[in-house]
Amino acid sequence: MSQSETEYLQGKADEEYKHGWTTDIKTEKAPKGLSEDIVRYISNRKDEPEWLLEWRLKAFRHFKQRIESGEYPGWAHLDYEEPDFQDISYFSAPDQKAQYDSLDEVPDEILETFERLGIPLEEQKALTGVAVDAVMDSVSVATTFKEKLEEEGVLFMSFGEAAKEHPDIVRKHLGTVIPYTDNLYAALNSAVFSDGSFVYVPEGVDCPMELSTYFRINEQGTGQFERTLIVAEPDSYVSYLEGCTAPMRKENQLHAAVVELIAHEDAEIKYSTIQNWYPGDPDTGEGGVYNLVTKRGLCKGDNSKISWTQLETGSAVTQKYPSVILAGDDSVGEFYSVAFTKGHQQADTGTKMQHLGKNTKSTIISKGISADLADNSYRGLVKVSKNADNARNFSQCDSMLLGDQCGAHTYPYIEIGNPSAQVEHEATTSKVGEDQMFYCHSRGLGEEEALKLIVNGFCKEILAELPMEFAVEAKELLAIELEGSVG
Amino acid sequence: MPTTLDTDVRPEDRFVSAFKVNHGQTLNGTSASIAQQREHAIERFAQLGLPTKEQEAYKYTNLATVIDRPYTLPLSPEMPAVTEEDIAPFEIDDLNAHRLVLVNGRVHEGLSDIGDLPSGVIISSLDRAGQEHPDVVEEHYGAYVDFEDDAMAALNTAFVQDGAFVYVPSGTLLEKPVFVLHVHAGEEDLLIQPRHLFVVEDGAVAQIIEKQHSLTDARTFTNTVTEMYAGRDANLQHSITQHQGDHASQVMTTAGYHRDNSTLTSNLFSLSGEVVRNNQTLTPDGEHCESNLYGLVLGKGDMHVDNHTLVDHVHADCASNELYKHILNDRSTAVFNGKVFVHRDSQRIDAYQQNDSMVLTNEANIYTKPELEIYADDVLCSHGATSGQIDREGLFYLRTRGLTENRARILMLQAFAQEVLDEIRNDAVKAHITGVVRDRLARSFT
Repeated sequence: MSQSETEYLQGKADEEYKHGWTTDIKTEKAPKGLSEDIVRYISNRKDEPEWLLEWRLKAFRHFKQRIESGEYPGWAHLDYEEPDFQDISYFSAPDQKAQYDSLDEVPDEILETFERLGIPLEEQKALTGVAVDAVMDSVSVATTFKEKLEEEGVLFMSFGEAAKEHPDIVRKHLGTVIPYTDNLYAALNSAVFSDGSFVYVPEGVDCPMELSTYFRINEQGTGQFERTLIVAEPDSYVSYLEGCTAPMRKENQLHAAVVELIAHEDAEIKYSTIQNWYPGDPDTGEGGVYNLVTKRGLCKGDNSKISWTQLETGSAVTQKYPSVILAGDDSVGEFYSVAFTKGHQQADTGTKMQHLGKNTKSTIISKGISADLADNSYRGLVKVSKNADNARNFSQCDSMLLGDQCGAHTYPYIEIGNPSAQVEHEATTSKVGEDQMFYCHSRGLGEEEALKLIVNGFCKEILAELPMEFAVEAKELLAIELEGSVG
Repeated sequence: MPTTLDTDVRPEDRFVSAFKVNHGQTLNGTSASIAQQREHAIERFAQLGLPTKEQEAYKYTNLATVIDRPYTLPLSPEMPAVTEEDIAPFEIDDLNAHRLVLVNGRVHEGLSDIGDLPSGVIISSLDRAGQEHPDVVEEHYGAYVDFEDDAMAALNTAFVQDGAFVYVPSGTLLEKPVFVLHVHAGEEDLLIQPRHLFVVEDGAVAQIIEKQHSLTDARTFTNTVTEMYAGRDANLQHSITQHQGDHASQVMTTAGYHRDNSTLTSNLFSLSGEVVRNNQTLTPDGEHCESNLYGLVLGKGDMHVDNHTLVDHVHADCASNELYKHILNDRSTAVFNGKVFVHRDSQRIDAYQQNDSMVLTNEANIYTKPELEIYADDVLCSHGATSGQIDREGLFYLRTRGLTENRARILMLQAFAQEVLDEIRNDAVKAHITGVVRDRLARSFT
């Protein structure tokens, strides 16, 4: 962003401030509360085009209507206090200040975790927020990547930039998969989303690298209401990874992101998530992140494919159902998930596969592991509509219990309206087999090592779906999470 | 005095005013506890209201369309004329049983043929049992079905009058099965609410075979509540066939409660009906219990069958099995919601659940939701659900053996259904239902 733009932005913000409220704008943080003014303020600060503001306002009005009618999505198997939407600050400008001057100042336990996860030194700096000039290398790596992407014509930028630079593409696709009327949190996100990622892969292009938010970490600060839009034009391929294995402490308790994927004819999108946010105080569960996300992909063209892979180990409350609408004929949807909950964590996660086109296929493999006092639910829908001839689905949801105070639940919805559909669903719930443990012991493995090995085997088919470099870290992450769960 | 429901007012209010009008017409009017329960039930019903599609439990089943009709509530015993010949077609060949016949929800003593009973065994109407054996009735009545959150069970409790009653005392083996035949008769559109109570004491063994049929084309809505109790080491086999025709709708709530080392088995066959909703709950409250739920749905026409089952594992060291199969033809719809609930400390539970469906046409629909809710770690619980069509390779094989396409299809579907039929322990009943299923399948493809 050039200097003049920044100035312009600042000017705009100050202007708005005059009419608005009395908080010191220099804190770069909007006052608490949600109103049309706040929505306008956010849009203004981000220098957005008029149509986007209008869209946000429509979403806001819809949100308000839902709140006023007393609606709150309380149907999931989750027990937490409804957030007070007027007690949240909906905008804070990206914090450019470094948290630390060098890695030496970073607390030892964080570094130790990094070490064990095998995260390279430069990335460690980026993740902990060590001063920018100290991570020059990673910035230059990012620049090289960007050049390479530009060569191929792949657009990869923040949502805010995209709205300004490629309004036609954004406008055409925004809200088409997840309209703001979809649910309360989608409406909220649509009204106040801070920023997020935008990926556009042109026709016939295989994106030359795994895209991840990793190397953008310093220019990020996308805040609590992220919005991601990925568009894959015909015959293209892109793999996107969100989050990282490193433990992330988030400032805000409520996170309501929206992710929309659109795959045209013969295109494939692979979306992987690793989420390890602050789960709250291990003894009381207080202060953890509420991760309430709406994710949906649309297989718009024939022969398209969308695949979701997720490893969820963090957050106090997780509620997300990455879904695929299989509209194109011969399209494929996949969902691979490992959700690990311990302490006071609660997760209600799963997927929806909506078969609309002919010869569509979907695969769901979900592994839930629950320890301590945690509750872990799988909730999914497989819907085969009347005209979706020859639809095929295979679902497998396995749960493992690592303690007698935790819970594991499965709520699969299967709705079939076509005789040619072949749908299979199976689910099991059990604890770690005594015979498996015994075998490991007899081979000289201790309790904890044995448990790690068995859990790893339990999750193997999911972790194998992650991009290679992350699969290794993910495995380590699970091992770290498992520590102290033996008993 | 019969009361006709006035369709101009809110459906809930119709029942509340009918309750007031017919205050005195009730089961065992002298029992203070039953009277009190009725008062509480109508209050609860008024608060809860009739189930709507907004509620998760009725997401796929719209009761309003079938309950919102000007039915007659027959509150006093007016028995339409039904003869032996009328009910003859509903008999089961070679079934040597104690027969109890209910016409419009009330026991018809003239048609019933109880025969000789081992000492202590009681087979009668609930109404009579309430007067003659108030101790047994009051101990078990209302103890196993919970109407606090169930409007239909509350409604039944408020209007309770009569139903079947079976009591088998400790250590008694009831050799012959009890055959309970329900028929609807008369010209009026009826809303009837039978209430059944089956008590099998410690170490006793009994088989109860229920069949529901209709002699009328009038529209009927039946809201049944059945309570079953099996004591320690007892074995109760319960089977029910729902075959009342296209004008009959029903909500059937069954609550089975059983103690240590006992076995409680339910076989359910839904063969016809307009809207049929079955809520079956089994609660094995003791160690080494075996709870079995088997069901077969043959959908035809616009039939809508919704089976909700719950196996509530409140006690450790138990096993449960569940198998439901659907064959859906024409525009029929089936809903299956099977839930296995394992409470904290209910360790070493072995729970198995399977639901398989065959959807034969584009207009038929299946909505299935096999749920597990588990709070204990040392368990082995699994569920599976499949939906598909007749296996092509199987069909091809049968064609190569010289079967026509239709014959091959019928054979494949019969084999599909057989797994459920095989769970029937009574040979006469098994032969009878297998025959009915075979005829139905044969008719579907000719």
